[in-house]
Order: sequence, then structure tokens, then C-alpha cells
Amino acid sequence: MKTRYTFFAVVTLLALVLSACGGGAPATQVATEAPAADSGSSVLKIGWLGEPDTLNPAYAFLTEAYTVFDLIYSPLVTEDSSGNYVGALAKEWSASGDGMTWTFTLKDGLKWHNGEALTANQVAWAINAIMTDPDGWAALSGYVGGFSEVTAPDEKTVQIVTEYPIANMKYRLSFLYAVYPPDFESFTTPEDLQNFTNDKPIGTGRFKLTTFDKDTGVLILDANPEYVDGAPIISQVIYQKFDSSDAMIQALKVGDIDLLSDVPASAFETVKGFEGVTAVAFEGRSFDELIINDVSEDNDPAPTGNPALKDPAVRLALETAMNRQDIIDIVLQGLGTPGDTIVPPTLGGGFWHNPNIKTPEFSIEKASQILEDAGYVKGADGVREKDGVRLEFRLQFDVDSSNYPRIADLLADWYSQIGIKATPEGVNSDTLIAATTGVGDFDLVIWGWGADPDPDFILSIMLTDQFVIGGWSDAGYHNPEYDQLYLDQQAAVNKDERQEIIYKMQDMVYNDRPYIVLYYSNYLQAYRSDRFTNFIESPLGLDDDASLAQAKPVQ
Amino acid sequence: MSENGNLFLRNLAGFWKTFRQNKLGLAGGFLVLVAVLVAVFAPALTDYDPSDIIRDANNRALTFAPPEVHGILGTDDAGHDVWSQLVFGSRISLVVGFMAGFIAMFVGSALGIAAGYFGGAIDSLIMRITDVLLVIPDLPLMLVLVATIRQMELKISPLAVLIVVIGLLYWTSTARLIRSQTLTIKERQFVARARAIGAGHWHIIRKHILPQLMPLIVANTVLILSTAILIESGLAFLGLGDPTKPSWGTMLNFAFDRSAISNGAWWFYLPPGIAILWVSLGCILLGNVLEEMLNPRLAAHHLEGEAGMIAIADVESKG
Repeated sequence: MKTRYTFFAVVTLLALVLSACGGGAPATQVATEAPAADSGSSVLKIGWLGEPDTLNPAYAFLTEAYTVFDLIYSPLVTEDSSGNYVGALAKEWSASGDGMTWTFTLKDGLKWHNGEALTANQVAWAINAIMTDPDGWAALSGYVGGFSEVTAPDEKTVQIVTEYPIANMKYRLSFLYAVYPPDFESFTTPEDLQNFTNDKPIGTGRFKLTTFDKDTGVLILDANPEYVDGAPIISQVIYQKFDSSDAMIQALKVGDIDLLSDVPASAFETVKGFEGVTAVAFEGRSFDELIINDVSEDNDPAPTGNPALKDPAVRLALETAMNRQDIIDIVLQGLGTPGDTIVPPTLGGGFWHNPNIKTPEFSIEKASQILEDAGYVKGADGVREKDGVRLEFRLQFDVDSSNYPRIADLLADWYSQIGIKATPEGVNSDTLIAATTGVGDFDLVIWGWGADPDPDFILSIMLTDQFVIGGWSDAGYHNPEYDQLYLDQQAAVNKDERQEIIYKMQDMVYNDRPYIVLYYSNYLQAYRSDRFTNFIESPLGLDDDASLAQAKPVQ
Repeated sequence: MSENGNLFLRNLAGFWKTFRQNKLGLAGGFLVLVAVLVAVFAPALTDYDPSDIIRDANNRALTFAPPEVHGILGTDDAGHDVWSQLVFGSRISLVVGFMAGFIAMFVGSALGIAAGYFGGAIDSLIMRITDVLLVIPDLPLMLVLVATIRQMELKISPLAVLIVVIGLLYWTSTARLIRSQTLTIKERQFVARARAIGAGHWHIIRKHILPQLMPLIVANTVLILSTAILIESGLAFLGLGDPTKPSWGTMLNFAFDRSAISNGAWWFYLPPGIAILWVSLGCILLGNVLEEMLNPRLAAHHLEGEAGMIAIADVESKG
């Protein structure tokens, strides 16, 4: 991993220096990493800084993986750009009067990428697989909570029976991808299933994957001519991973790539000014946070977090010594809003976000005082300690991000002023996943989440039983009361009642501080509008399935 | 001892006489001297702490401000004063470079002398280790080492890790050079005589071999300094420095991460680059000239007739 990183950095640096000196031409060296595609302009090249951790939906963790799943797999229903749910595999559906039996009728002419016809049985199998092996399908098991039976009464019908009326059923179904049963049937243990990399996924989606090469960071998707709703206009989508945002931005400028799926805030104004490029900002559903090790001592393996982090006073001091406005001004160049709870204010038009939470005002003096009052005394080197426990923390972050190194640097500086020594360390996302979920080998981590349109998912990342390898919880928050409220909100059919429960859950997480939410960031993208047009500008992103379906080259 | 001291002073005077006529050497010395002075007097050269956030009238961070708007070199993406980062960064870059350079010099000389003087199995062993280290690509090996050591969570500062890793990997060329020189010296008559009257190994190495090698070691150390500083910058650029103590490499790392080039913020990425160039060019110029002047074999070719320069020959005739 490390050598690849160097190699890339050197290559991109070289390309960058050359392009800075001698105009655009040499920068094509970056793009030649991607296999030469037809010069036909219906190939859309997208640059991003990350890549899927795996193509196996059973335990994919990173947003990039879900971006790809949405293109190659189809669920029964899917979210459209205005936040409504429309049929993907399903033509129509109905719920019984008690809300506990859902019947879906499949569209005609559904085919897998290998040409076989899709049957209702296979769709039911894919959902059943998650229900029968929730440990193996850790990433998706949260979406089938409360399902009791999934059957296929005939070739065209899928029926789902639930234990109680589920308020957000369609949202949940939008993540239950129909995976190709022969690919997934053979695994007997959760470990086998999770070790499966699914490099040649077969789906029913609008695109089919032809190449995913982690070494070169190239992921190629071909249009699926047999797609049930008609093939997309563009013929191919290539995702190219970049290790440097500067190199990526230069590649957009000179036209080596056509779309940036995530423009670094620090360059947004510059990108806006490029000729032939349109930059768009959406109110996003994502936030970045400081994760505090909250893993229970009983966990196996035992967490290695500094025990002082369990002290609420230390957590409060960590939040008080953090200048959120500075972080937004510096890291996001002002393109974001200060964070507080794990439910972003954009979900449901603001309906789910608890507005009553007040974050402490930034004050170095107050933060020092909090630690002083809690009995942490400064040692000779300026680092506070109590009962032999020094306030010395690892501060890890994902190196793929262009924002996190700077956040780490700012936090470490503020914390040093209150007698806390935080040592920043950039690691790659695979290492970070391995150190957090289910393990707890960290002190502080800077990371981020993209929330679903419904608050259900983002609330589930704090569940006790999600703290397993392949699960969603990285902080290791464990609170039985919270777990119960989570089940209650799922069963609450009345919207106001559900809101009240969700407000309470946000209060709990905020006050216990397994996370300190730094900010809600805007979603920044850019594309070469002199080459492609007709994207849908929505919070789902320009490279969302529906948007890519109608995107077309400029003639 | 006093005779030795006098000899040394005389050699030094002679050396300076030759050195000051060499323009390249003087230029190199000047570049290095300026960098060292900047590092020593850093706090006097700037009004800001490198981690201060410069603020505008509304008390918001002033990011990517060009030099016209703020200070000598503007601000970086975090509103830090670039000039003060550069000035304080020189301390980190030079300290890491110098310490690593000295470790490399010490290890390389000790092993080179041991290999050359004792020969036989010791020589073979040391030289094979050297060969192995020479064929492994340095940068990937160092990346892996630094990353691994840091993950072991020993309570050492990231800078110390950098120093030790660079120091312990960059002694190979010194060792080879010193070994070959030791081989020729130990065959000389004065060594044979010393041995004949019963002098021990330690005595011979200390009194007869080391003084002969000293000029070579000095020249070589200066050259290694430039390599060490470049390597430190490289590793810091790749994110393996200590972000809380920014060196020039760390500045470049941030410039690269934070789209300084896309933003056209030349005041952010050019100065650290020029500073690295400044110091390593200085070390290389100085080192090459020193080597030329002090290395007896090169001296015979290039400095023929320069009577003042035959310091080594002098010592030898007295020995």
C-alpha cells in the first residue's frame, strides 16, 4: 500500500510540475494511467480521491462503494432526485391495511448482465440471505430489521411480511440490492462471505462493471444495452482515483477528466473560474466528526484507547477547545455550517434535525478550566495528567482526504494549548476501518459520514450491535436505552411521534459525545459543460444513477 | 598533543587560504551559513508564531492571502503566516538533516574503519550488509520503516524516528569510501612501524588512521547533510513528518493537499521549495569543494603545485 502511495505521489507531482511549467500537454500522463478509451466523447471520465473498499455489498463501508452499487445493482425501489421513491425492479407495489404485508410486482423483461432473466425468486433470495446471515451481511443487515418473511408467490411477485409496520420501508428497500444468487450462494460462514471481493459483480443495473483495478485506481463501467428502462446515452463511465486533489483539478482543467465527484472546498472558487467547466454546490447530507473511543472494556479484543477519554470532562474539553468557525473558514473555505448532532439539518427538509442542541462556545480558557476542575494537572512538559494517566492521544485520519490533515493540524494546536497532546497521523482508509469497527484500536479519529435521506441509517451507526467487524459503528457507543429508542422509532408510524424519539436519540449521542460533529459540508461537484450536459443537479450528485442515465455529450 | 594542535592550526590556516580562492566553495559556505543563522535567530525574524491564525477585520481566518495583503509571504490555506512557517521550518529541516547526517557519518566511519582495518571476516560481513542496503531502494524502505515504527506506538517523537531512520540507512556510501581509504593507510610504513613497536589496534586507529581520514570524513559529512535534508523533505512531503512541527517538506505537503497550486498561491509552495534548494545546493557546493581539496587522490590531480594544500602529505612525512 505504502509503495503505491509513493509511486502515485511521485507520478502526480511530476505531471503537476510539468503541467505547471509547460502548459497542458504533459498532464495527460495522469490520464494515461487509465486504459485508452475511444476518443468518442460518450465516455464520461470521473475523477475522485477515494475508491470502493470492496465491491461486495455484504460488508462495503465506503461511500464510493455505494456510488458504484447504485449503478450496477438495482433494488426494488430507489430514491429519485427530488427525494421520492420510484420503482427500480418493481413496477408497482401495495401495502396491506395493517402496513405489515408489502407486495411488489416486478417489471417485465428484467435481465442480469450475463443475459439470464431475473426471477422474483432471486430477488427474494437476496433479501433472505441478509436476514438469515446478519453477521455476514453486516453492512446491510440494519435495513432488514423487523422483516419476518420474504417470499416469491409467483414469477413476477415479491412479498415482504414484517413484524410491525415499518415507517420507512421504501427507503430501506432502496439499499436491498438484488445480487446474483450464484455469486453468493456458496459461502458457509460470515468470514467467507466477507472475504469475497466480488470483483466481477453481476447485477441488473444501468451499467455493468468491466474493470476494477485497485493498483491503478481505475474502475470502468459499460452501459448496459439490455437495461429494463433503456440504455443510458453515454457508452462508458470511467472512475479514476487521484492521490492529489491538485492533480485531479488540473486534470479537469485540461480536460483529461470530465467530472469531479468531490471538489475540495479549498479549490471550489478556482474551479468555478475554469473555462468550459460548471461547478455546482448542493446542500449535502454529510458531516465530518471527531470520533472518540467509546468502546466498552468488555469488548473482545479489548480497546486500546486512552482511559481518560471515557471521562465526560475530557470530552467536553475536547469540544470546547475546538473553534468550529475557524475549521469551516479554513478547511471548507466557508462552504459549510457548524455541526452538532449526527442527523444533518438537510434530512427530510430539516424535520429530523434536533434544533435544541447548543454547542459550547469556543474558549481555550474554559476548556483548560474544565480539565483543571476535573483534576488533570499539568506536568513538567505541559501535558496534563491525573492518577498517572496522561492526556496524550493518537489523532488519526484518512489520508485520502484533502481536508483531514488540516483539521488534525488545527485540533492538535488547540489541544496543545489546553495541555492535551494529540499526535496527528495519516493512515489509509482500509487501516482505519480495521482499527475502528469491532476493534477499538484508536484514541481519536477524524472521519466523516454521508447520511441517507431517512435518519434511520445515520442513527444506526451508534447501535451497540453494530460494533462488529464489518458493522457500522466505529466509536463503539453502547447504550441500551439508545438501542431501544432506535427500535421504537422504526415502529413509530406517526411522524411526530417518530420525530420526538429521534430528537431524544440525538440528545443522548450529543451529550455522551462518542462523536463531536465538526460541520455539515456542502456537496461540491464540477463537470466539463463544454463536453457533457443534461445532468440532474440534485443532492444525490451529478454521478447518480438517474443523472448518468440522461447525461449526454455536447454535440 | 600540543604539537598535534599546532599542526592542526597550521593546516587550518593553509586550508582557509586555499578555500577562500574557490568561489564555488565560498558560495556554498555562504548558503549554508545563512540557513543556519536563520534557524538560530528564527524568533527575531518574525512577529508571528507559525501556528497563529491571521485574522481579517471580521475576526475570520485570512486564508490564501497574497503577500500584498499580509506580511512578507502572505498566508497559507489555514491563515498561518508563511514567512514565519518558513523561518521556523528551517529549524526542523536543519536539525533533522544535521542529526541524521551525523549519525550516518558516525556509523559509516566506524564501520568503514573496522572493515578496512581488520579485514577478513569482519570486512566481508560489513561489506555484505552495505551491499544489501545499497541495492534496496531507499525511499520505499524508509517509508515502510517510518510508518512501521510509528505504528508501534513507542513514545518517540515522529522527528526522532525520521532522524534515526535516515541516519541508519545513509551510512553505506561513507562506509565504502572510508574502508577503501583505510585499506591504503594501514599499508603505509608509519602504521607498520607503530605495530612493530607494539601499539594496539585502538591506538593505531585513533592516533594514526583517524587523523588521516578526518578530512575525508568532514567532506563526506557535508555531502550527506544535503541528502539527509532532501530525504527529510521528501518524507515530510509524503505526510510522514510531524505536522505539529512544520518543516519545509511539511509545508509542501500541505500546499499540495490543500490545492495551493490550483489556487495559484505561489507564495505558499515556492518558498519552501526554494529553501530546500538553497540548503542542499549549499551543502553540495561546499561538500564537493571540500572533497576536492581534502581528498588526497583528487588533490594530486587537481591541485598540483598548490603547496599549501599538501597538508596530508605533511602529516605523513612527519609520521
